[in-house]
Amino acid sequence: MTGARDPLQVKYSEATNGLRIARQTSPPGAASISATYVGPAGWGFDPPSRGGLARLVNQLVTSAAGRHDRIALARLLDRAGATLTRQCAPESAEVTIWGPADEGELLLRLLADVVLRPRFDAEDVARVRRQALERQLRELTQPAARADRELMESLFPVGHPYRSTGTGDRRSLARIRPEDLTAFHRGHYVGSEGLLVVTAPAGHREIERIVRREFSEISDASPPVLDFPHASLPRAAEHRVELRGHSQVEIRLGGSSIPRSAPEYPAAFLANEVLGGRPLLSRLFQRVRERGGLAYHATSELEAMRFGGYWAAQAGTGPDRWSKVVPMLRSELRRLDSAEVPGRELDAIRESAIGEIPLSLESTAEAHELAIELAYHRLPEDYLIRWPARLREVPPGEVREAAAVALDGARASLILVGPLNGR
Amino acid sequence: MSVAGVPRPPVTRFTLPNGLGVVLAPIPASPTASVWVWYRVGSKNERPGITGASHWVEHMLFEGSPRYAKGEMDRAVVSVGGELNAFTDTDFTAYLTTVPREHLDVPLDIESDRMTRALISDEEVARERTVIHSEREGAENWPEFRVEEELYQLAFRVHPYRWDALGRREDIERMSAAELREYYRRFYGTRNAILVVAGGFEPSRTAVRIRERFSALPAGGDDVKVGEVEPPARGERRSELTGPGTTPHLEMGWRAPALDDPATPATMIVDAILGGETRPFAAGSGWGRAAEHPSARLYRALVDSGLAVRATSDWRPRVYPGLFTIHAQAAAGVRLDRLERAIDAVLERLGRSGPTVSELNDVRAKIRRGALLAYEGASRTAFRLGYFSVVRSPEYEGRLFRALLRVKANEVRERARSLFVDEARAVVRFEPLDGRPE
Repeated sequence: MTGARDPLQVKYSEATNGLRIARQTSPPGAASISATYVGPAGWGFDPPSRGGLARLVNQLVTSAAGRHDRIALARLLDRAGATLTRQCAPESAEVTIWGPADEGELLLRLLADVVLRPRFDAEDVARVRRQALERQLRELTQPAARADRELMESLFPVGHPYRSTGTGDRRSLARIRPEDLTAFHRGHYVGSEGLLVVTAPAGHREIERIVRREFSEISDASPPVLDFPHASLPRAAEHRVELRGHSQVEIRLGGSSIPRSAPEYPAAFLANEVLGGRPLLSRLFQRVRERGGLAYHATSELEAMRFGGYWAAQAGTGPDRWSKVVPMLRSELRRLDSAEVPGRELDAIRESAIGEIPLSLESTAEAHELAIELAYHRLPEDYLIRWPARLREVPPGEVREAAAVALDGARASLILVGPLNGR
Repeated sequence: MSVAGVPRPPVTRFTLPNGLGVVLAPIPASPTASVWVWYRVGSKNERPGITGASHWVEHMLFEGSPRYAKGEMDRAVVSVGGELNAFTDTDFTAYLTTVPREHLDVPLDIESDRMTRALISDEEVARERTVIHSEREGAENWPEFRVEEELYQLAFRVHPYRWDALGRREDIERMSAAELREYYRRFYGTRNAILVVAGGFEPSRTAVRIRERFSALPAGGDDVKVGEVEPPARGERRSELTGPGTTPHLEMGWRAPALDDPATPATMIVDAILGGETRPFAAGSGWGRAAEHPSARLYRALVDSGLAVRATSDWRPRVYPGLFTIHAQAAAGVRLDRLERAIDAVLERLGRSGPTVSELNDVRAKIRRGALLAYEGASRTAFRLGYFSVVRSPEYEGRLFRALLRVKANEVRERARSLFVDEARAVVRFEPLDGRPE
């Protein structure tokens, strides 16, 4: 499959108000459409005293819009066989609509409605606040959620956009007024630095026409800029949080890392796959679960964002086993740094990563995820087509060098949360 | 092609002489092929002392067979870019592998090798014991798991639905490799299995490959029917739990019909009206619990009113009578008594007045439209065909779909009346020990 109808090929264009548009053809046989607005509206933009604002706005945007209150909007989506979902991250926030392609025009109109004309009805705001409060409590009391939060706080200095998990605290939520919600929406759900990604089976010229029409009112205001403090990153630390009554200890070992645009990203991607990113084949899975029998999950992730990133090795295990798992995580990191990955191992990981591309093309929704990533990071239109060749070019030496930079075990922070001293 | 309004690819079915059922769904344009083996074996076939055996066997089927030493199955699939996994339910266990279409032989070979000849060595069982423990411990970290496990334990006294598919902690600690091997030899055989292949392949050539690999397997697999019949509940049962958490949880359960019961379609509409779910004909992923259904009655009565942060209902299609459940998590500062009264009022109103015309029309539209994209992609196709095959038959999907669209308002009202009987209800209340609001 090559050419314009190849789902690996994305086409870019730009509307007059600065909104970038990315179009992708659905995989063969798929009959659904996915459309996502991505805006510079992540929680990294939360004002210092208004932690939680970006998440609240993101949730409220999908609640009610234009002439549709929350229930009317839900019924409209149900009757169309569609779903409306949201996602918030440090740098950006997303709103995605998915449904039958024959309802494409209606769905694009609804997406424009929620992005451009959210209602912020008082009862919706109250409900979303209550849910946010519960999420805050969960981040304090649930081991996995708490460990993720502790890791970010140990990796990034105060004021850094990646330091928070976007939930704020009780006081910051209480400070958020209705006008804060509308102001945040006005300033961040904009055309400049905004992105609209559409994956559909056909009719792309028509889709582009509808998108341009429906999003013609999106603000062309100057995009906000994330503020990165000049303070140096915190030193490696070990942080233990005893949460009694739970069954499992959550372990995070991680550090700050490279942005997606870094030249060493493909090699760092492979390094992470070798460490714990590739299911079943990775070293952490093999060492901790398959040989050690010590944990159900032992993985790693490399989160390379636009301006920076982080990596984390993670596992969950019983209170009597975490002290055996932690040295394993550390020693696998050292091994990655101290010796090149053997050619055979690297080839298996590499070919697995390349071979799984067709699995990402089973449905519109899966292909759409690839297109969003491509467009958000401003990668070339044919990036996915060239990705296999790029991965095959990476020699073991480059993987080792990239691991030293992007998965630096020597400067990693260790987080342990759960029943550390027994249940 | 459309089968009773649910668009799905054409299907070929046949049964090998050893009893293995085969379902083939070619999707010519698909870049992948998805192979699923469904066994009619689940935690329903266990007994006290070996609860969790089906799930543990599921793990062991990745740990070696005659032609695939430990780790080689994983490598064979993942090295060609494929994915493999498995899951265990009360009624069945499913093993799934999706690969780029040109590698279809890889999963077929693996499944034929491990269907009756998995090694399940003492050494690997011992090593996997802590992995199974760890999986259970991970679940126990969530109050939702603890509450639901308690609810089923409370509602059932005889039927094996009373334990979770993960098994009891004590049984995981105690179960021997010999017991696992015996369980595997007894139930895992061709007569209890269905092989489903969906995606980009040529059906007649694939049928030949399947016969070559699976025909030689001996016919096997004991009867998986469950003899125990749960007697009617005589009186409400209650349990209170405490533990780490954020805000209180409340879960209620009532005895609900099995999948093939004539009352099932109306029960599913009750679920859709109360909680908003239209599984297995929901838009989107089609199976998992959706995040929120703002137009559903429970959501409006509990979440909108400020009593709860989430509220759902759930009826799972099961081979034997199971539970219809309602779960709600209180908003900070709200007491469970108040939440319980609010739920009772919602149920009483549905039983008294039934659904409105527009509610019922919305649910029908939601089911009709949700079914439209149910078969997008090879993996999802293989999942749906396998699921309906293992619980009834592929044709059952169409029958259920038609029956759902025919359910009338008075049937929903009557169903709600007969379902939500206090004497047949189990209630679990969970109060967090920490995380209480200041």
